[in-house]
Amino acid sequence: MKKKYLKWLIILLLMLIGIQCGNSSEQFTIWIGGSPRELDYWQQIITEFNKQTGYNLQLVRQPTYSDQRRQSLVIDLEAKQPNPDLFLMDVVWLNQFAASNWLQPLDKYVKDNDFQLHQFFQSILNSVDKYKGNLYALPVFLDVALLYYRKDLLEKFGYSEPPKTWSELLNEADKIQKIERKNNPNFYGFLWEGAQYEGLVCTFLEFTSSHGGGIMNNGKVDLYRKSNIEALQFMQDLIHKYKISPPSTYTEMKEEEVRLSFQRGNALFERNWTYAWKLHQSNGSPVKGKVGLTILPHFKGDSSVSTLGGWHIGISRYSDEKEKAWKFVKFITSFKSQKKLILNVGWNPSRKDVYKDKQVIAEAPQIKELYYVLKHTIARPTVPYYSQLSDIIQRYVNDCLSGKISPSTALQKMQNQIKEVEKIYGTE
Amino acid sequence: MAPNSNKYLRNDTGLAYLFNSPLIIITLIFVFIPVVGTLVTGFYRDVTFMPNKFLGLANYERLFEDIHFWQSIQFTVLFVTVSVMFELFFGMIFALILNETFPGRGILMIAILIPWAIPNAISARIWELIYNFEYGIFNFLVIHSGLSAAPVNWLGSPISAFFSIVISDVWKTTPFVTVILLAGLSTIPKQLYEQAMIDGTNILQRFSKITLPLLKPVIVVALLFRTIDAVRIFDLIYVLTGGGPGGSTTSISLYAFKYYLNGDFGYGSAISVIVFLVASGLAILYLKVGKFTEMIK
Amino acid sequence: MSEKKLKKLLIYSGAFFMFFFCITPFVWMIIVSLSEHPDFLSSNVKFIFTLNNFVQVLTSRSVHLLAYLKNSIVISSVTAIITTFLAGLSAYAITRLKFPGKIIIPMALLGFSMFPQISIVGYLFKLLTMFGWINTYPALIFPYITLGLPLALWIMLSHFSQISTDFDNAALVDGATRFQILLKVIFPIALPGAFSTFILVFIYSFNEFLFALMFTIDYHARTIPVGIALFEGLHGQIPWGYIMAAAVVATLPVIILIALFQRFIIKGITEGSIKG
Repeated sequence: MKKKYLKWLIILLLMLIGIQCGNSSEQFTIWIGGSPRELDYWQQIITEFNKQTGYNLQLVRQPTYSDQRRQSLVIDLEAKQPNPDLFLMDVVWLNQFAASNWLQPLDKYVKDNDFQLHQFFQSILNSVDKYKGNLYALPVFLDVALLYYRKDLLEKFGYSEPPKTWSELLNEADKIQKIERKNNPNFYGFLWEGAQYEGLVCTFLEFTSSHGGGIMNNGKVDLYRKSNIEALQFMQDLIHKYKISPPSTYTEMKEEEVRLSFQRGNALFERNWTYAWKLHQSNGSPVKGKVGLTILPHFKGDSSVSTLGGWHIGISRYSDEKEKAWKFVKFITSFKSQKKLILNVGWNPSRKDVYKDKQVIAEAPQIKELYYVLKHTIARPTVPYYSQLSDIIQRYVNDCLSGKISPSTALQKMQNQIKEVEKIYGTE
Repeated sequence: MAPNSNKYLRNDTGLAYLFNSPLIIITLIFVFIPVVGTLVTGFYRDVTFMPNKFLGLANYERLFEDIHFWQSIQFTVLFVTVSVMFELFFGMIFALILNETFPGRGILMIAILIPWAIPNAISARIWELIYNFEYGIFNFLVIHSGLSAAPVNWLGSPISAFFSIVISDVWKTTPFVTVILLAGLSTIPKQLYEQAMIDGTNILQRFSKITLPLLKPVIVVALLFRTIDAVRIFDLIYVLTGGGPGGSTTSISLYAFKYYLNGDFGYGSAISVIVFLVASGLAILYLKVGKFTEMIK
Repeated sequence: MSEKKLKKLLIYSGAFFMFFFCITPFVWMIIVSLSEHPDFLSSNVKFIFTLNNFVQVLTSRSVHLLAYLKNSIVISSVTAIITTFLAGLSAYAITRLKFPGKIIIPMALLGFSMFPQISIVGYLFKLLTMFGWINTYPALIFPYITLGLPLALWIMLSHFSQISTDFDNAALVDGATRFQILLKVIFPIALPGAFSTFILVFIYSFNEFLFALMFTIDYHARTIPVGIALFEGLHGQIPWGYIMAAAVVATLPVIILIALFQRFIIKGITEGSIKG
């Protein structure tokens, strides 16, 4: 009887082992996430790279969500796996990855004669791609936030140019909203992302930095200052006092909600990333041909900024194919590839020369404005524990926007909690 | 009598271990080791961008002072209580109905399992769509029926977000409770009811005197596992509210996830241990009340 | 007899409510999957019928949805079968045999299941890479078995404990071995429990996401929940049409499975209640 029982067990075991139809890990891999269309294009790029070099780089698809991609990478890199050799990183993770020793320093590679380091935006390289003086990643595509506006409405009401200051924007939005509401009760003057999520930190950063404030000050977190209090007050007033932004701003408004509403013709101004442009101009869009874009406004006496977004590429410190990996990094950041990326998938190049290319300017004229904005970007705090900071900032800014607490209280609480976080993670 | 069976009657222990061995081995390798690892990690500073350091109970001390942590505990306990209550209630009613014979029962049986069959991520998305401010069904119905002039922001305030999450969870997991209760109901012999009806009892009496007592073991099982799952709830909340608004719907698991994501495995492990303790506390409560362990002896 | 009528009324109205409660979101999912624009309930968008979502989702070269489906079905089935069987073995031993420390097993299993998955993932990952199982079926089957065992064990325990040992004793007298008793006597009686266990473990494994995401790399072993996550666009641009179409494809096998098993469950139920 024991035999029969054992027989069953063995059958089961064989069943299990026999079902081992899967590949063991590929040798040379890159992990990328994105929409199916983008990944299809990545596959094309990689196939071309393989043809040129004779290598066999395999694309491993990750889900689209930033957090899920990061989670897989964190677990994998903590376990010091030789795969993936390459991966894309959101600009906000760079510091965490570099500080955790997962990235291969690139300094010796970029000294190559045929690598034109000067073509990249130095301010960006210095602020996010470097860690303790060494270069750890290179940008593949850059993203910035823009002010989108309805050209037709501004013209109709006699404004020849988009607003340069927040008070100008407020005036125009208020005036036009009152009149447009008569035909369209869903119309709002200014739509922006205020829900409690990462994007809120970006909008917060923009409002405060355009008032001489911001999150960091001389390398330290300095939130509780007059400029920030006033800027945050302005954000809160947009919703509750001036009412040119809807209450859903702090409950629902993320990128897509903002974009869709603007695209349906329900807004005069929109703050959104560059991706919205193509969609606004697509066939069937009610606002096609009526949209302009420019840099975000600033408070009088200060200057405009946009938060820096985008994705960077890095080589794993544990990779077993570093030389080959570097060849791919060179490939993807080359002029040719970067030009293809903007023309085919609308990704903003990380190299300055592409912005000056005639064909690119002809097919994507918005690139000129983008180039200008890229010179006025600000990065979110580059600390490895940025996510904790982001959580704290999101929470209290959102509470303030919903009217629960005053800007002053919010900023003070933020500052205090961040001090606690710094105590825990800041000792290096 | 074959000589074999005698040998085994006398050597129960050996046979028992044989029967239990696959389960034990798999559990040891794939669960016990990770769990021990988690326990141990909770005593260390294990941050990916900092050197490891033995901290003793420091992570737990930090948890004690962490208001967000307590907020997540409060939410989780509240969520568990309300959800499980509703799930038990509806599950019982559904199981009772399914236990009867009537035309279309087969179809109902299939229908009842559909919510459970849909992957968590999908059902969370469906509910996200239903609650959508601009084009979700709820707002559509609410406005067109005249209940409210303006669309409601279901996920926008802590209270409505809480109940929105509860509704989604109840929808998804009531089938689970129903299936377990139904299997239990089916082992109650019909003769008992027939006899009781002849004796002149009414529905409620039959329910409380026959059904409930005989169902106790399965109710405890259902309660136990629903509670444990509810304590660890993650997918649904991650998709619907991301833990907001204002962190008011962050469950303990979601809170732990954030720390793992940021590379602080030590703190995340400590939180996981607390999840374990909370769930254990509730489990012990159920088992004591249900006197379940006596059943096994 | 008004009590009978009342009961009938309650049952029918209850069944009605049940049906709509369960079905509506699912029907909504199907409607959206067949619609050109997901936001057709908002003021200026119409509902346009289309099968395009399904076409796109099934023929997409970059997302091998059908491969994911196959993986999911195989992994979930194998997991459910093994888990039910192992749980039955242990439940039998615990309820029928004398041995020290029998209470530890269900308790320990229960205890372990209380740790959030995220805390176990890291260690499991290291373990699985050691075995070289990443991106293979065993990488998911074994963890899923451990996820399903606690529930399976407790369900089997609660069923087996209700079955009188007279059955066992009678069979023992006839010269059967314990194993034979388990297979030929106990399992048949506990069929509703076994089927419930099977279905619950199957569905649980089918829908599991975190482990599937971490332990698989491509379509050789990836499962449906991960596959669906790959459809979502950037910036939260959720292509509802595609996702719902993929969801319909994903839930179809499970629903078919349930439809098949539902007859067995009812059979098991009616037979179970005859035995007095």
